[in-house]
Amino acid sequence: MRAFIARRQRVGLVSREAPLISNLSVLENIALIGQYHGRLSRRRAEAMAREYLQRLGLEELADRRNPSLQEEQRFSVMVLRAAMLEDSVLALDRPFEMMPALGESRFIYETIGKVAETRRECHVFDYFLNERRYRRGSAHEA
Amino acid sequence: MIYSDMLYFVENIGGKGLQSALSFKDAMSFSYLILARLFDRRAYNSAVSMVLLNQIYFTAVQILPLFLTAAICLSIAFVGIIGEYLLSIGLFSLFGPLLVNFMIAEIAPFATVLLIALRSSSAINAEIAVMKVNKELNTLEVFQIDIINYLFLPRVIAGIVSVVLLTCLFAVVIVVCGLIYSGFFFNMSARDYIATLLESAGFFDLIAMTVKSAVFGFFIVMIPIRHGTRATDELTSIPVAVRHGMVNVFIAIVIIEVLSLVVTPMISKLI
Repeated sequence: MRAFIARRQRVGLVSREAPLISNLSVLENIALIGQYHGRLSRRRAEAMAREYLQRLGLEELADRRNPSLQEEQRFSVMVLRAAMLEDSVLALDRPFEMMPALGESRFIYETIGKVAETRRECHVFDYFLNERRYRRGSAHEA
Repeated sequence: MIYSDMLYFVENIGGKGLQSALSFKDAMSFSYLILARLFDRRAYNSAVSMVLLNQIYFTAVQILPLFLTAAICLSIAFVGIIGEYLLSIGLFSLFGPLLVNFMIAEIAPFATVLLIALRSSSAINAEIAVMKVNKELNTLEVFQIDIINYLFLPRVIAGIVSVVLLTCLFAVVIVVCGLIYSGFFFNMSARDYIATLLESAGFFDLIAMTVKSAVFGFFIVMIPIRHGTRATDELTSIPVAVRHGMVNVFIAIVIIEVLSLVVTPMISKLI
């Protein structure tokens, strides 16, 4: 993290410490970043957010709010929100803490892969004790 | 023993005094921060406009049925009491001035701000406190979204706009109720009623009412926001934050009302 700060690079953080805003819908949560940083109009930002949701096949979640989402859905929406931040590094902070029931990292890699074209860099930070879960996911990917 | 008790008593008063002074200073610097952003064009974007429209809808539109009912009941009651009393003591010529200077200039803003404070200030206080506990304010910081611009500014503007507009609506309700009541019970023609009101109403009174409403609107939103942000990470801090916020809102309403009663005649004399 300190390296990003030293490089003055924006960080699109996916973390339990940065939850979705609960009084906004999924679509508004993602669009907010575009409206704020890209100075986009509401319509333009929401169209962009809807396109992102379609990419992950989550368009039916657009009008739902944070408490009604399942863990994987919440994670995917948080990845999309982070991907809306232009010229930023995607940083995943302990993804298995957000999805404790997930046995391996395949879902995480697949989700990142679907938004990969918008990101130059992606970093995952996690405890060593989860290393095996990442290895299992990588093996599946291979 | 008596000396140490007295010392403790004096220290206690001093401590409370200092705490109140510091809290007042904090509130004033927070107000300045929000007021400065209010006039900064860079603070506005489509996200802020969206929040602003939602807040105006929640504060000024959703309250309309309750507000209109309360405004009609209060207007009829006050107009009736004032009219009947003035008739009984033979001073009905003061009906117009009392309607304008008491009902429209004082009761309309005061009743409006009480209704909005009861409904919206408590909601805003709880909303900000819940966001703090849920770490949603942290989210905004992480994504470099200015909390003052995105969360606080639209709520404060919506508060000011709503109180001013609803006060004007209350004033209209008072005028209409007065017209109907005086026509039915005091045999006053519509022309006489309007002439009495126009004679009594001054431009300065209307400006003073609007400014007072705007000040009310600013503080009944700014204070709950400030107390909402003081919630800790524990759920139990939410009711504490709301209780402190609402008590301070009502203290602020009384202080502003008293100050307006002192300051308005002084400015009026100067003009």
